[in-house]
Amino acid sequence: MADRAGTAPLPLDPRAVRLDAVAADVEDAIRQCGRTLAAVGAVDGSYTEAMLERERSISTYVGEGVAIPHGTLVSKDAVRHDAVCVLRFPGGVDWHGERVTVCVGIAARGDGHVRLLSELARILLDPDRAAALRDATEVAAVVALLTPDPDSEGEDASE
Amino acid sequence: MPERTVAVASRSGLHARPAKIFVQAAARQGTPVRIRVGNGAPVRADSMLAVLSLGAEHGTEVTLEADGPGADEALASLAELLGRDLDAEGAPGA
Repeated sequence: MADRAGTAPLPLDPRAVRLDAVAADVEDAIRQCGRTLAAVGAVDGSYTEAMLERERSISTYVGEGVAIPHGTLVSKDAVRHDAVCVLRFPGGVDWHGERVTVCVGIAARGDGHVRLLSELARILLDPDRAAALRDATEVAAVVALLTPDPDSEGEDASE
Repeated sequence: MPERTVAVASRSGLHARPAKIFVQAAARQGTPVRIRVGNGAPVRADSMLAVLSLGAEHGTEVTLEADGPGADEALASLAELLGRDLDAEGAPGA
């Protein structure tokens, strides 16, 4: 009970995982994240613009070859339910001078994004798990990496 | 070890722009600084992933710790930064 923040799995729909995406640049990659989140019903079309706006304000590159595009505070109305998507770019994307091979797009209502970012950062802080995410060749492997605790199913009711 | 506890003032919490400003400032200090929430494990203050992993929201009390020469100055400067709303500074539309 000490540290509940570390136990809730990330809301990752297997349909929101793409293993071999290709993007020309940062904007292209973010637009693909927006489309992927929209395709699983998590956001409406305006969320992509919000993610692009955030990216213009500050790079969402976080290290380990991973960027985490997410919308601005003003865009939260565009979010229908919390979700993340994972897009692998095996060929890499030039992310303001950093090489990104994994994009984790994040959509959250209210302050939910802080928890999602925290969950994701904890996973990426483990170099082995970060490498496994970059090298994943199966959707199930990505889902397993980001939702590491199947034992606590249903305990943390998420609406 | 010298410590400073301060509530995160940025309205969206310690992520994105506020986290980046904080991490870059921590990296400029002459001495390693660590940060924790409550009794949690301290993590490097100059690592974006480590700082994000804290999940610190607006109002969350975080504790900075550092040792050695310059520790007090480093803590004072970083605590002052966390005590400001970094979302409001130079971030139109954020």
